[in-house]
Amino acid sequence: MKIERSTEWKEGFMNRLDNVEPWNNWELYKMSYEVVKANIISDFSGLQSPKYLPNLTPLAHQLEAAETVIERMNGKAILADEVGLGKTIEAGLILKEYLIRGLVKKALILAPASLINQWVEELNYKFYIPAIPYRKNTPIEYYDIVVMSMDTAKRSPHRELIHAQNYDMIIIDEAHKLKNHKTQIYEFVQSLKKKFCLLLTATPVQNDVFELFYLISLLKPGHLGNLEAFQSSFSDSKHDDYLKELVKQVMVRNRRQNTGIEWTNRRVQIIPIEFSEEEKEVYDLIVDLKNISPVFSGAFSMITLQKEMCSSKEATYLTLNKMRQNCTNEEEIDHVETVIQKLMALEINSKVEKAYEIITEANDKVIIFTEYRATQAYLQWYLNTKGITSVLFNGKFSKSKRDWMKRLFQEQAQVLIATESGGEGINLQFCHHVINYDLPWNPMKLEQRIGRVHRLGQEYDVHIYNLAINNTIEQNILDFLYAKIDVFEKVVGELDDILSTF
Amino acid sequence: MYPQQVHKYLSVFFKETSCQILSNHPDYITVQLTIDMDKKIMNRPFYWRNIESTGGVPNPALLNLITDQNKLGADVKGEVVHFGSPRLNRLFQTTKELGAFVLMYERVLGKGEAQTILTPWLGVNYKVSYYSDQTMEMLYSFGINLITGIVREDFQESLHEVNLETYQSKHTFNLPFIIKPVRGLERLDKIIEQIIEQDDHLWAEEAKGRWQKDQDILEYFYEGMENKPECYEMEKQAMKEQYEARIKIEIINGGLFYMK
Repeated sequence: MKIERSTEWKEGFMNRLDNVEPWNNWELYKMSYEVVKANIISDFSGLQSPKYLPNLTPLAHQLEAAETVIERMNGKAILADEVGLGKTIEAGLILKEYLIRGLVKKALILAPASLINQWVEELNYKFYIPAIPYRKNTPIEYYDIVVMSMDTAKRSPHRELIHAQNYDMIIIDEAHKLKNHKTQIYEFVQSLKKKFCLLLTATPVQNDVFELFYLISLLKPGHLGNLEAFQSSFSDSKHDDYLKELVKQVMVRNRRQNTGIEWTNRRVQIIPIEFSEEEKEVYDLIVDLKNISPVFSGAFSMITLQKEMCSSKEATYLTLNKMRQNCTNEEEIDHVETVIQKLMALEINSKVEKAYEIITEANDKVIIFTEYRATQAYLQWYLNTKGITSVLFNGKFSKSKRDWMKRLFQEQAQVLIATESGGEGINLQFCHHVINYDLPWNPMKLEQRIGRVHRLGQEYDVHIYNLAINNTIEQNILDFLYAKIDVFEKVVGELDDILSTF
Repeated sequence: MYPQQVHKYLSVFFKETSCQILSNHPDYITVQLTIDMDKKIMNRPFYWRNIESTGGVPNPALLNLITDQNKLGADVKGEVVHFGSPRLNRLFQTTKELGAFVLMYERVLGKGEAQTILTPWLGVNYKVSYYSDQTMEMLYSFGINLITGIVREDFQESLHEVNLETYQSKHTFNLPFIIKPVRGLERLDKIIEQIIEQDDHLWAEEAKGRWQKDQDILEYFYEGMENKPECYEMEKQAMKEQYEARIKIEIINGGLFYMK
């Protein structure tokens, strides 16, 4: 076995014997010995880090997760706790432990741009880990712990700079962004040496089991076999139990219920809505457009139009008008014009009326999630006419603007209207009502949205309203969501209620 | 280390390094650093380079270190120092540097003309670390009598009972070495190696097992692939770094001790 030793002390000692250098202080000599004795790591197992962290009281499930990752998973794991259970704390505990034990010297943390400052703050203040945010021209060779956005990391010249470092640990937050193995970021992460590696995501499966395959293959290639073997064994869901066992070996997943903490309830419901006759007529006309012009024959654009029609005429108009410009035939143009006229003549939006009804009944702060910017603006205008104050929120906002909007919402406005991308990295425990005005195709997006309010620190029951218009594409979306939730539960584990409480 | 221990540590450290303690409250300590200590613990090389090249007036830092935040009111401002804080780590490091080699004599109260004979000992404190993807550390303290070659365990602890000073008492006579200190050191090094050799290295076997298992999984993933991609070699290298068993022997400090 390799034994490392240094002759440094011997040389210093000989210098003293030869009177080349002076002898040291006896009190400091004794102190030095006592310090080493106090810091000695006397066992391979167990966590040292908590005693170094007076400003942090980790929860039982967080300590257990850290221990499991270090002792049973050898420091390579997916941390897949449900949203709001403190995956960052777990990652911090693990990193700290390896730093204390001298197993990690340099670590790289990749996170969405909007979460970088949060990471840096938590690591510095809660864990005394001197992490710095990467900016252009940061000389990363001088810093041991660097937090960087994924988008930056994957591009030149940053990727080359990263490759030139020898990182002992890689931590990737919001790791579901790696679900697609054909993306640049996936290839980049694959090209990194991963001695110790943590992937953080509450939603390791969003659509199908292959996402999990690619995620795990990044962490531990071969754990689920190669693609061929995986395809033949697991794609037909006959062996889901076996797959679940394999997944458990590399994944820690705490659920709210198992944390020993009292959680407030989630009251989730689907609110069915009926279109008015006029709305229904326009919706049907839109569906029929594919029979009128080849411009509308693409499945994707048709679906978009239908979804938008379920949202607002403002959102629909933007797309419809753009597509009309692609029509060449006079007759077709006339037809589309008629549809647009009918659309713009609509005076009632049944869904927004329902949303208004819910807000009035709640008589409390409410978050509305919509998929469309046009709808977002319309909702604000509509609520304003009813005397309800609201603020807008979306992912493009800078950190300071986000904080400002959050404060406005907390202190002044009744409603926060957010687009999808506003979902990540904002915590709004002071609010207990969420309206999903439009449904996303991905159930995990719903989970992320709900997680903004249903997290540690929430003191009230949380009400979730999923709006869906009868006899429209939104019914198909619901069916689709149920099917995906089923896949997730079969291979990853139970999921908290996101569509409806049964 | 509890706040009280940290506090005591700081008091002794600054006293021994000749930094003036301006106030020593039970829960905080205010200290004026010397230029030397500022250079060692404040981590501001540019400042000192600048002062020295321009001949400016050096202004070593005045530190207000809080050891028990919970007991203090909000009016006391300063840096909180606790077990695990970077500042304390820096001080630990400095302590190690400034307390690595000693030459000590047992104090003898002179009675008449009779000379007391002092025997030279070499004392060395070792830290041994076992590394794989996990770690464990052990502390060993050995002393070797440089006349007889007798080796004593727990040497550092045994010194608690001896009254040691940095100078030789009157009426004492130091026996000259029969074993040279450097040879003594080599003998102690040997003993440490023997201890390691005889130790149970199940930990290394287990790490090897984990390594093999991961290796097998990796091979399976790339099975039948003619030209394995670059990341295959990289994964293998990562595993080696992760699991390979290594042992590190480190001398914390040591010295010559003349004792009865």
